[in-house]
Formats: sequence, structure tokens, C-alpha cells
Amino acid sequence: MAIDTGILINVGFFVYVSIVFAILALGFNLQWGYSGLFNAGIAGFFLIGAYTAAFAITPRTPPSVGYPGHLGGFDLPLPVGAVLAMVASGAVAALVALPTVRLRADYLAIATLAFAEVLRIVAINLESITAGTIGIPGLSPPIVFNPPNGFLNAMVKLGVSAAILLGLFMTLHFIAESPWGRVLRAIRDDEEATMALGKNTFQYKLQVFAIGGALMGLAGWLFAVTINYVEPSGSFAPTVTFSVWVMVIVGGAGNLRGSIVGAFVIYGLEWLSVQLKDFVPNQFKDTVFYTRLMIVGILLIVLIIYRPEGILREKKRILR
Amino acid sequence: MSPLSQENLSSEAALGSRWREAFRPTPRVRRLFFRGLLTVAIFVGFFASLATLFGIAILQYAIAGLRVSSIVIVAAIGLTLIYGIRGFANFAYGDLMTLGAYIALLVNLNAALSIFWGALVSFLVLAVVGILLELLIFARLEGRGPVAPIVASVGVGLIIQNGIRAIGTTQQWLFQVPAIQEIPIVPGLGFHWIRDATTLVVGFAFMISVHVLLTYTNLGKAMRATADNLELAKATGIDTKRVTYAAWAVSCSFASTAGILLGLIGVIRPTMGFEVLLLVFAAVIVGGIGSPYGAVLGGLVIGFSQEMSVPVLVWLGRPDVIGLEHSTAYKVAIPFIVMIAVLIFRPWGIAGRPPAFARRVFLVEKLSEAIGRRIRFAPRTEGEEGG
Repeated sequence: MAIDTGILINVGFFVYVSIVFAILALGFNLQWGYSGLFNAGIAGFFLIGAYTAAFAITPRTPPSVGYPGHLGGFDLPLPVGAVLAMVASGAVAALVALPTVRLRADYLAIATLAFAEVLRIVAINLESITAGTIGIPGLSPPIVFNPPNGFLNAMVKLGVSAAILLGLFMTLHFIAESPWGRVLRAIRDDEEATMALGKNTFQYKLQVFAIGGALMGLAGWLFAVTINYVEPSGSFAPTVTFSVWVMVIVGGAGNLRGSIVGAFVIYGLEWLSVQLKDFVPNQFKDTVFYTRLMIVGILLIVLIIYRPEGILREKKRILR
Repeated sequence: MSPLSQENLSSEAALGSRWREAFRPTPRVRRLFFRGLLTVAIFVGFFASLATLFGIAILQYAIAGLRVSSIVIVAAIGLTLIYGIRGFANFAYGDLMTLGAYIALLVNLNAALSIFWGALVSFLVLAVVGILLELLIFARLEGRGPVAPIVASVGVGLIIQNGIRAIGTTQQWLFQVPAIQEIPIVPGLGFHWIRDATTLVVGFAFMISVHVLLTYTNLGKAMRATADNLELAKATGIDTKRVTYAAWAVSCSFASTAGILLGLIGVIRPTMGFEVLLLVFAAVIVGGIGSPYGAVLGGLVIGFSQEMSVPVLVWLGRPDVIGLEHSTAYKVAIPFIVMIAVLIFRPWGIAGRPPAFARRVFLVEKLSEAIGRRIRFAPRTEGEEGG
């Protein structure tokens, strides 16, 4: 081909990973921005989605030399994997929410963070089920081209993830503007008053926690499918959770477009730091990466102090 | 003086009773003494019963439990002080511990001074860091609910952790301490002066010092008052701003010492503090947030539950039992299970005071409802059923 597709593939990678983070951010925004449930276990639900997808989608892989094998290998079609990932994550989220959702925001954060860390420890150590740190490779792309074509592959992934994001955005917009979404915002602003109006706030919180968890599971599925590989130690570390917080805070809590913008901006920062790595002298290669995380930290502090409503602030709703 | 001496001379028995009168313990001291004796007895009994049941080698895990507990206790006391006074969970605490260990390391390696001086320098530096954190960041977030300071503290943690990585690389370091051999007691059970004795002694010293601070000094009393009720403390004329700064200084310097102890029993690396942060949170929550005495209790529960679970996990890892691979890696999950159980059944902690209108947790509520329905034969009246 005349044009160099390498850079396009690279940009495509940036876009679809950003979309994965955008879906995570949408899930977290639904939980925190709309309902005030401060979830610190985003990485855990992300992990459940990714592993469920990997178990469901990959072909059978019996244990071999140097590979401990993993659970499943059901060779199911991709959409079934997505549904399973969402159901698994949503169900686990509901179970986690049952005892914790009534707690104060800080207790909830610590409990969910602990939950995510336990899950990661299990994923690293339970080799017969998750293949440990070796990870599960070989998830097939949405369309298998013959002969293999990197550019078309990237474009298909991009198309699929963009379509999912668009669909989610419209659905969530509808949900957020519905009476149900109105109750969520009421719970966030004043839970006692909402209770006094006869709403069972516990039910609502349970539901929104499960739906947010299901969205995170969907993001896990999309991540597994687009990266073709699931591995526990780096992809699902608490840093992922913190990044998603920054995305939602940068974009603006309680605002769907904000989450998407925030995801693109913050993941763009990471992508840029990876691209910059090739241009800096050898001894600074790692520094670039760590500087990026420091910038994320500074952004968190500065934004939470000076602009807690984010770039795009939540629409003011006035009673008429 | 003269009538006293005359009386003393006149009768030996009077002298005895007078001295006894002077040193007769007040009921409070007697209570404290018996409570301490009881604690020691419980510990000794616990260890003795373990040793007789499972053989003396099991005490190795108990010693490890004490070691981990004393580190977690020092950290948890610091964390709970700020939690009580400022009302938020400081997620940067683990990274502050790392920072403390690295500052001590810097002094230890570059100035070739003993670790004691490193600890002292790091103690003071971290106190200043704590005051700066409050001054620059957290004072601006007062009255914004618990989430905003949590987010800011995560930012602080990210900056510290990655700053250390960027400057000091991800290399692992060790403190320059005299090499001491482990003293073997019986095969499989040894005792190490630095690893076992230092952590225990320092942990105990910090416990005592915080007790003295909170009970016998004006600052400590002001701290307790501020943690109990901010508005009331202000109304009684306590300078709560100054108390808050002092609490930050104490909290962060405790973090530095906990980090150094952690470096003494293991290696120093950029994520060392963050890895134990959740353990410290678990101790704080199990003990009851804001209570230093609860933090001690919680630290013991957490440290022991983690280390004493190892033999059980080893047993589970045997191929003829379950054959769980890497089973001892799960020991870090045990404290979280304890924490979740406490959150469900006693969210105010095992040592904390329940709030006046404590809402029972979902599961407990449903359970007691079910039991209540069984026991109470009379039909439920209308209006009891809430919306």
C-alpha cells in the first residue's frame, strides 16, 4: 500500500482503548456522578468482565508445557461473551453492593478497593483457572481476515467499539433523563429527603451499582477482545481505578459527554507518553512514564480544589 | 516535719501503714494494672495453648503476627488520628510510609549514619510534610464531604510514589544495618534481634507515647475533643486549626516510623507502602475509626489473622487436601475478609461506640426480622412496615 498504515493503526489503538476507558468512566459516572456511590473497585469489575469474556470466547486450550491452561475455552461467539461478561460483572456488583452500599462514602471506597485487590490476588495466583501471570492469549478479533491484515483489523475494532460507545451513550442519556435517573440524582443530593418522598433508596442504589458494574464488565470484554490478551498484574491494578476517577473528574461528574471527553484526554496523555518514549534518551525512558502518573496526580489535586465540576459542568435543571 | 518524724519514731507499725497509705493504688491504677495483667495472661495463654496443640514451631507464625501487628499498629494509630480529626480516609498514607523509609535510607546510605539517625531525620521531615499537606491541599477541601479529600489524597499518593520511581528508580534497597544472625530456639523457630525485637519495642513505645499524649497533655486532650465534636471544641476555645496541624505532624511522623520498620523486615521499594495501605485501613476499620485504642486492637486482629492463617493455608495447599496452588499468597486476603465481616455486623468497629441511631445492616436486619416473625406470634400491626 502506498500510504503508511502503521501510524493509522497506532491512532486506531489509541481510539479504541480510549473507548474502553470511556465505558469504564460512564459506568463510574453513573455510580458516582449520578448517585453518589464512590466505587474504588472499578478495576475489579473490569477484571471480571475481561476474564469472563476470555473464558467464553477462547477456543479450548489444554494445559501444556509452560502453560498451566485456564478455565473454559467454550469458543462462543463474541456477542455472547459480551452478554456473559455484563451479567457476571453486574451480578458480582450487586453482591458487593448488598452489604456495602449503605455504608458512608469512605467505607464504601475502602471496601470496594479491598474487593478489587483480593480479586487481583486470586487472578494472579489461581493458575489452574486464570493461567496466572502468563495470562490468557489468543482471543480472536471480531472479523478474521485472510491473509491477516493489521490495518483492517484495527479499523474493524475501532468501528465496533465506536458503535458500542454510541449505543451506550444514547441509552444512558435516555436512562439519566428518565424518572429513574431523576431519583438517582435526588439520592445523590439528599438521600433523607428522597426517602421521605417514599422512595426505597437502597433498591435504587443496588440497581445503579449493578448497572455500573455491568458497564465495567462490558468494558472488560471490549478490552480483552481489542487487546487479544488478558493478564492480571498490570491491566487491573488500582492505577486503572484512579485513572478512571481522573477521567470523570476532568470531564465533569454527572455528565455523560464529560466522561467520554475525560477518557480521551487522560488516556491521550498516557498514549503520548508511550509515543514519546521513542524520542527521549535511554536513561529517561522510564521517567517519562512515571512523570505521566505524577501529572495525573497533580491534575487530581488541582481539579478537585479549583474546578470540582470538571471541564463540562453538569446541566442545571430548573423546575418549571 | 517534726510531728511526722516523732510519730514515725514512736511506732514501727504506724510507719508501715503510712507508707502503704501513700502508695496505695487508686482504683483507676488498680483497674489499669489488672487490665494489663489480663492482656498479658491472654497473650501467654494463647501462645502456650498454640504451642501445646500444634508443637512449638507454630510460634514462628505467632512471632510473625506480632511483628506485622506492631508495624500495622504504628501506622494505624497515625492514620486513625487524621481520620478522626479531619474525617476522611487518607489514601496517601501508604506512600507517606514509603517516603519516610526512603528519607531514612538516604541518610543511612549517604551520610553513613546509623538507621536511628535516619529514623529521626525522617520523623521530623515527615512532620513538616504533613503540615505542608494540610496547609497547601487539605485545608482548602474542608467541608466538602469525604470524597473530595480522598481524591486529593490519591493524587498526593500518585505524586509521591511516582516521584520516588522517577528519581530513585524501581530498584530495591536495604538499610545498612549490622548483620545479625537469627538466634535459633528450636528447629523451625528463631528470633532475630532487628526484625523481631526492634519492631516490637518500637511499636510498644509508640503505643505508650500516644497514650501519654492523648491522656496527659493539653494538646492530646484538645485532639480528642476536636475529633469528638469540632463545633463544640471550637466553642470551648480550642484552636482547632493548630490542633489539626499538630495531628497531621504526628500522623505523618508515625507513617515515617512505620515505613522504616517495614523496610527493616523486608526490602525498600516504591510500592512497599501502598501494598500495606489496605491492611492499615482494615486495622483502622476493625478497631473503629478515630480511636487510637481501637487501632491497637484492630492492628493485633489484622496482623494475627494474616500471619496465623499461613499454617492453615499451607495445609489447604497440600495436594491431598485441596491442592490450592500458591496457597500462602492468599494470606493478604484474610484481613479483608475480617474487615468485611466487621463492616457488615459492626460498622463502628469492635472497640468503637455505636451511634445513637445505628441502623442495622441489611443482612442482620433481614435475619432479625425473620427470627422476630418466628418468635412473635401476634400478627404485625400496620404502620410497622416502613416504606
